[in-house]
Amino acid sequence: MTPYTEDELKKKIRGGYILESPEEMTPGYRKALIVQLTVQADTELMSAPAYWFAARHAPSTNTQVSAHAIIQDELAHANIAYRLLEDLGVSKEHLVYGREPHEFKHPYGFDQPLDNWAELVVANGFFDRAGICLLGDVHRNTSYGPLKRALVKVDMEETFHLRHGEVWMRRLARAGGAATELLQRCVDWMFPMTIEWFGLPDDLKHHSGQLDYKLKGLTNDELRQVWMSSTVPLCEGLGLSVPAHYDEEADEYVLEYPFPCEYDPGAKRWLFEDGEITWGAVFERWKGRGPMNEIYVDSVRRSRASVASWLN
Amino acid sequence: MRTGLDEGVYEVFARKSRGEPLRHIGYIDAPGDELARVYAWKTYDEENWFEMCVVPRGAVIPVNRVEGPWAKNVPEETPGS
Repeated sequence: MTPYTEDELKKKIRGGYILESPEEMTPGYRKALIVQLTVQADTELMSAPAYWFAARHAPSTNTQVSAHAIIQDELAHANIAYRLLEDLGVSKEHLVYGREPHEFKHPYGFDQPLDNWAELVVANGFFDRAGICLLGDVHRNTSYGPLKRALVKVDMEETFHLRHGEVWMRRLARAGGAATELLQRCVDWMFPMTIEWFGLPDDLKHHSGQLDYKLKGLTNDELRQVWMSSTVPLCEGLGLSVPAHYDEEADEYVLEYPFPCEYDPGAKRWLFEDGEITWGAVFERWKGRGPMNEIYVDSVRRSRASVASWLN
Repeated sequence: MRTGLDEGVYEVFARKSRGEPLRHIGYIDAPGDELARVYAWKTYDEENWFEMCVVPRGAVIPVNRVEGPWAKNVPEETPGS
């Protein structure tokens, strides 16, 4: 039984209180934390098959090693987040093995195929950077002690993934010709994909309590700005064009395309020409999941039942 | 239903180098002590640890705190003691 009302707990948290166990949580806090951790765990888990399929395109044994090291990190991060959920009374067994593929809460970006080495390294450069923006903010601000400690490792390793992405993006950009053209095509679909990942703009966002409970520190729009503030200069420095620029007057990065807009997953192309759509339409697309959803989910759990039956 | 893949929780402790404190760095689920050692070493590979050990969660007995993951391990008081 929680010793606090919702308002009392929020006030204590504003004063710097760190929660260490579920007994201290109000129902609202527990629910918001479970939502946050489920998204985190599912995202880490689904990045693994996305990167694993793409790692087949690694051009050398060295690159195979780094790609698989990243996959191993992602699985460990997922495992740790699901373990934290278990301590909140949520079954990892159900989350990983009991849900339908479309019920996972990872972003739409990890329902897409990564079809070549360039797409894998841009995923490291863009998607893992989004992970660092989001989880780095959680690490600095979260009021849940066990999560804060777990994120020390996660932050350290995601920084390596990002470096891997940046180094390889630089190599491909310097090469020119086909390599640079391919890199630009990756950026064209993966830049808006990551922008959308940060979710509803602040003026449309319902109050979720995540900020009041200090489960995170920055809003969706602020996090999107943080991501752009490093991604846009990186791409510009590599001679890659991105549909965003820094507006000095507004002192922020602004998008140069209708946001949000529709995506054609088969062609890997954003339909800028069709104009802005509603966030309701975006949520429908997310709910319908992307082309690799079932394949990725199946790939992380297909042998569970047969191995369990051998052991009985 | 229990299956051969059922796992228990282990607490993971490690120290970076000689002279450093042994710190609680996380947790791992494993079906037994041997695999807990392997999983902990492979999962928490972010440092080149000088020392790492795992402890079954059920073996940690809290001294002063009555809530948290180890609370249920508080020994029942023996009548008359």
